[in-house]
Amino acid sequence: MKNFFRKVAFGLKPEEKAPSDPLTWAQKQVETVPELNWKGKYILSEKEMRKHWIKQRVEENTTLRKKFKNDPQGLRRAEKQLRNDTGAKFWPNNEICIRHAEAVRSNTPVLAKLWYFWTNHFTISDTQSLPQFSTGAYHREFIRANMDKTFETMAIDATIAWPMMMHLDNKDNVGPKSISGKEDWRKKENEPATINENHARELLELHTVSPKAGYTQEDIIELAKIMTGWRPKFTKKKDHGHDVRFESKRHEPGKKTVFGKEYKAGKKGLKMVIKDLVNHPSCREFIATKLCRYLITDKPTKEMITPIIKAWEKSDGHLPEVHKAAIKVAFEYNDKYQKFQNPENWWLQTINMSGATYAYPIPEKKMDKFELGSLTIQELREPDRLLEDIGCHPYRSKQPNGYSDLSTDWLSTELIIRRLMYAKKAFRTYKTIDQLDLKIHEKIIQTNFDNPDKILKIVSKAKSNEEKHVILFNLPEALRA
Amino acid sequence: MKISRRDFLKGSATTLFLAGFNLPSLALSSKKKNLVVIMLRGGMDGLCAVPVIGDKNFEKKRKKILIENTIKLNSDFALHPRLIGFNKCWNDNTGSIVHATSIPYTQRSHFEGQNLMESGGRVAYQEKTGWVGRAMKLAKLQGDGLALSLPMPLLLRGVPKNNNYFPTNGKLPQNDTLDLLRSVYAESSEDELIEMMDFIKKRKNEQMISGSFRRGKRENKNLARQAATYLRKSDGPRVAVFEVNGFDTHAAQGGIDGSHTECLVEMDEIINNLKDNLQEAYKDTIILTVTEFGRTIKQNGGNGTEHGYGTAIFMAGGLLKKSQVHTDWPGLKRKELYQGRDLNATIDARSVYASAMSTVFDLDFKRIQKDVFFGDKLENLSDKLFKA
Repeated sequence: MKNFFRKVAFGLKPEEKAPSDPLTWAQKQVETVPELNWKGKYILSEKEMRKHWIKQRVEENTTLRKKFKNDPQGLRRAEKQLRNDTGAKFWPNNEICIRHAEAVRSNTPVLAKLWYFWTNHFTISDTQSLPQFSTGAYHREFIRANMDKTFETMAIDATIAWPMMMHLDNKDNVGPKSISGKEDWRKKENEPATINENHARELLELHTVSPKAGYTQEDIIELAKIMTGWRPKFTKKKDHGHDVRFESKRHEPGKKTVFGKEYKAGKKGLKMVIKDLVNHPSCREFIATKLCRYLITDKPTKEMITPIIKAWEKSDGHLPEVHKAAIKVAFEYNDKYQKFQNPENWWLQTINMSGATYAYPIPEKKMDKFELGSLTIQELREPDRLLEDIGCHPYRSKQPNGYSDLSTDWLSTELIIRRLMYAKKAFRTYKTIDQLDLKIHEKIIQTNFDNPDKILKIVSKAKSNEEKHVILFNLPEALRA
Repeated sequence: MKISRRDFLKGSATTLFLAGFNLPSLALSSKKKNLVVIMLRGGMDGLCAVPVIGDKNFEKKRKKILIENTIKLNSDFALHPRLIGFNKCWNDNTGSIVHATSIPYTQRSHFEGQNLMESGGRVAYQEKTGWVGRAMKLAKLQGDGLALSLPMPLLLRGVPKNNNYFPTNGKLPQNDTLDLLRSVYAESSEDELIEMMDFIKKRKNEQMISGSFRRGKRENKNLARQAATYLRKSDGPRVAVFEVNGFDTHAAQGGIDGSHTECLVEMDEIINNLKDNLQEAYKDTIILTVTEFGRTIKQNGGNGTEHGYGTAIFMAGGLLKKSQVHTDWPGLKRKELYQGRDLNATIDARSVYASAMSTVFDLDFKRIQKDVFFGDKLENLSDKLFKA
């Protein structure tokens, strides 16, 4: 049973009492979206973050290159100062602290674990300096904030959010027959208006119906046409940092057909088509399967998926209901299936079960010492480095499909080396008094495992407290949940 | 473009006929032969890397992203001028290109395409093993695969005991700790974890990152140096797999300084550093590239290209027959394009891979075709592309 607290959350702290009704405990956490646990001074909106992004991009790509065109060393120095001025090295670390505080310090770790699921579902991959400035804010504002609404709302918000539009190139998706497409300058400057399929394809494949729905290349192009015109306003000075809005001048005129249904030209088309996509049977099946794969097993069965699909149908895709159904299935299969944890969730579980949450995430008072213009000191840059090193950085996925949910993708020599190294690191985040506490591992084990005697026996073979930590968090019982 | 499709087919008919006389079993050579696969993720633009010469129509469609000052390879094709490493191979007769080729996948999705380029199958996500892994199993090569990446790529799966190298910072735990964990894994029958623990026990602390090196050790060009030192050992791995990301240039693909070029240069540095550091073993090696698809002929409004179909394969190494551009060129006129927009693929890329593995692993081509590529119709190109 204790496994369940790691399956849907991050385990229990050494002194924490196990809730008497685990299922209710977990389900209650996903009913609403509470305020963030993080109390630091830097919780900037996605729009505010864009100001820093613009400064970085405009100065990096134009101003500095012109100014230092014959002085490579001067350029490097100026670039370094620019990164200090825009906080490029600071923001992702601050965002990771905000993200991880939800897992190990808040009263809603279950909501946090599902938040991570959705940030991976609507991945913003590592491109256009988005990880340094925008992805963390995007995860808070467009994903987490919508976790008590319907999937439709989340899908619409995630789609037309500025970082997603930038990430999947919809700014370049212009109707060839649109007013803008027919303008003279395009001919003169040889810049014809063309459809950019990238975002439309991922909206179908990754975000809603999945290839199982059997759409065609024609469907992709038609959906891309519906999406033409949605883009940030462009001025040369601001490098696409303005709000996203619908520009009818760039919208392809005429009716479009997706999955056999016609959509009229205009602004409303996108929301209408997303409504139809999220209500397509393949969409709920796809997401129910993904939820089971994330929480329960690499190979979800029909019996696991069905109750989640039912909850979706009954509630019209209301995410708290969908999540509750998924949690219930995870609860029912708790003893039968133990899922290999991805590196980020494993790391958070290691910190949480150790009770080292006073040191990780880096406390607010340390993060708040950062001031724009100054260097981000090494200590504050640890979270970013850590996540990259364990191979699961939520802002640096290489591709728009995010990270795999399959165990085999987390099993390799190097990935296991990381677990050994970072179990050691987790121990070193302890204060000296905890490092020396001879009872600490007994407490962790008694609180978190149903078979404490067996685990204690293994761990007691270690010669030091540090070695105990490395062994404990690399036991099959701790690698899986 | 001077060669026509007909000329090519005349030439290939004879070789197809001769191929029928292939001996059923191949003599086992005593030399250790290596295969290196470089995965180019995002869709490599074969026409940016290896453009056709003198096709006005092509040049017109790519005005803003055309590569200039290319290196002429033969009367029909040129090489991207920044591929210096590959050009060295070409000049010493160990660099080849197969053009207008692709895996048999036309749906233009990265993720399905990349799954298929690694699995070698026809239905995305159906196969749980990769074509290299299955061929290694057929050749009874266990513990001979090395991935230069953090997760184990699908391409190598299908044979147990593959290793990977992508170093991190710090010192490994003591051997006692590793032994204890290994014994626990053994008791719980955690086979995969046992395998990995065995590799970790062989790992040396100097192979970890320490001090000033930090991130540099993880760059592909430096991983290539390290991989070469493993590959050239007689008891080292026989297969290495690299990944280069970022070929998906829908916008700002650019010309000679563009983002597509940067990716190609990263690939080129791998080839170059392997060649230099493999030393003598380069003679007994095939390096080749895979990608999920090529890109559209026509540039889009953002000076990028969309997902396409036909592309090119780069190959290098002493086991290549000679430097050549092997192709059954389909042409770039509208009616010759795939769906009127993409370079067509006239050679199943898997024919090249099956032929390469037949050479490196000393396996009969037909067995590879049957047991690795599901009996799909493939052409044995061993005689044309590789040394016997």
